[in-house]
Amino acid sequence: MAAANSGKTYSFKVVLLGEGCVGKTSLVLRYCENKFNDKHITTLQASFLTKKLNITGKRVNLAIWDTAGQERFHALGPIYYRDSNGAILVYDITDEDSFQKVKNWVKELRKMLGNEICLCIVGNKIDLDKDRHVSVEEAESYAESVGAKHYHTSAKLNKGIEELFLDLCKRMMETAQAEERLKGNGASQSASSRRGVQIVDDEPQATPAGGCCSSG
Amino acid sequence: SSHCVFSLSSWSLCLTAVTVPAGGAPVATDHKSSSPRVSGRSRPLSDEAEEPSPFLPPEVFHKLQAEASELTPIEEASRLNQKLKANYEARLARLAPGQAYQKTSLTLSLQRQMMENLIIAKARQDAVSFEYATIPALMLDWPKQWKAKMKKNPDVSLVSNLVSYLLRPARTACSTQSVKSFSTDSLISPSRSHNLIPKYEEEEAEEPSEQESMDRENSFEDLEQFQDESHVQELEKRALKEHLKAVVKDVHIAIDQLLSLCLLSFESLNTASFKDLCLASIEEAFFTPLWSALVAYVEREEAYETSVKLYADASPGDIGIPLKLFPQNTGSPQGSYPYGSAIQELKLLIHDRCPQRKLECIGESDCVVFILVYTKAEFWDGKLGADDLLPILSYVALQCQCPQLVSECAALEEFIHEG
Repeated sequence: MAAANSGKTYSFKVVLLGEGCVGKTSLVLRYCENKFNDKHITTLQASFLTKKLNITGKRVNLAIWDTAGQERFHALGPIYYRDSNGAILVYDITDEDSFQKVKNWVKELRKMLGNEICLCIVGNKIDLDKDRHVSVEEAESYAESVGAKHYHTSAKLNKGIEELFLDLCKRMMETAQAEERLKGNGASQSASSRRGVQIVDDEPQATPAGGCCSSG
Repeated sequence: SSHCVFSLSSWSLCLTAVTVPAGGAPVATDHKSSSPRVSGRSRPLSDEAEEPSPFLPPEVFHKLQAEASELTPIEEASRLNQKLKANYEARLARLAPGQAYQKTSLTLSLQRQMMENLIIAKARQDAVSFEYATIPALMLDWPKQWKAKMKKNPDVSLVSNLVSYLLRPARTACSTQSVKSFSTDSLISPSRSHNLIPKYEEEEAEEPSEQESMDRENSFEDLEQFQDESHVQELEKRALKEHLKAVVKDVHIAIDQLLSLCLLSFESLNTASFKDLCLASIEEAFFTPLWSALVAYVEREEAYETSVKLYADASPGDIGIPLKLFPQNTGSPQGSYPYGSAIQELKLLIHDRCPQRKLECIGESDCVVFILVYTKAEFWDGKLGADDLLPILSYVALQCQCPQLVSECAALEEFIHEG
């Protein structure tokens, strides 16, 4: 099987969604560059980061779109989550509204992308647990009810983030392998050429290193 | 940090002295007995007789006042503030739960009053030590004049004029001290931007940064015997990075302080757009002499340069731009290719000296690209996504052919200011 071949590389697209100020950028920056800044900088439109991983001997390239959370950017959501393999829906455990916002995103993603996309619901800022306003039980049972997995993270303390992305990668790999099997059986002809995973042969990086967002 | 190359604390102190009269030194003397705004103690904070009065009994109060007159203005103000705070706490205790709005407004007005008292006291103290008579009346009048001007016609140029007026003494201090010490050889990294650093004269031998690096070299003498040059360089680089971190923090704090001083002194500036304007004006004063030195710290330009060379003759397709997003206007004069204005806009970034404006250049450039892509029917059909924008943005960045762009962005990340 192609996917089992160590010469192949998985390329996944992951999008981060959620209300403003919940810590989406902090999560990604911690994950990709191991940086954390207490100062808040509002993301305008979106930013793009990449990360290379090796999971049980298989190479994985993650392309991560970190989107702006402010309501005025909501309408742009589709251009970022289009063709995503995974979505990380972030809320702030001290802010109940941000959890409601996650529910809206779940509805929208399920409606637009169906069940192909791996959903992660992430309660960030667990370093502020004393101000928690979203109960663990509520969040976990909601996640289960919509077929998502729930995680708790703190970008500030670097807690739960590696696990979150690793787990998501593994789930995306399983989905990709299942799809491969289906394709191999000729059971499904993917309608959209770009939907789903691209498993590409190993080759030198073709993208220019000049983009201001590309991780070093 | 104790050996910060920017003399920021002295700078903001300097501004404090300048802005203080703006808080109302004249006001303090004019309205001492009548204005409730200034003398918060005369505010009827508690009018219900049945409540335990937060006020002191009159005889005690007068006694305190008599004592207070022998205190320095600042001591007096801090006493006054303690009383205000006690009043505030008493009122707060009486608020029913759920009156969050009142609580906020009480808190804000307390903060404002306390701040005002301190500013006024500082001005009075300064006035005493400066010897009142020697200060021309004009100098104490200018905040009033500015306020009047602003009431009449609060426009853009007035605000930037005001800020530059406020910063005048500070700017002189900054350009004479800070830049000189910042541009010493020990602080300049071997970056491509090296030649961008303005050549300021270095007359002073006892510059703190230079001394510091010499001390460091001495302390590493033993190490040098065992490790090669590159190790020492590595250590120096790390020390400089730490140093930069401290400087960045100081700059942020100083800008915050300057901005809040402006807004406190001139209430009419406290709107979103004027606030931005104030910030831009402050930033401009700050960064004009410093930016090129800051940019010199960043060393990620080589990768960009390599890419620029590699893709110099590449077609948009080579970079991954689909043809439909790169229409060829046949017959158009050479140079007016699609995204040309995005490239021009991005190039402007290098010439600005104010982080906020630089950011606007990036925004404008992106905007041009987005508009071009968004107007495509495929976009609205959902056939185009943000992934299609990436190669275009890379193309625009490469066509700029300005290696400093990378350093500029990295420095911007440090200095983006969000209130």
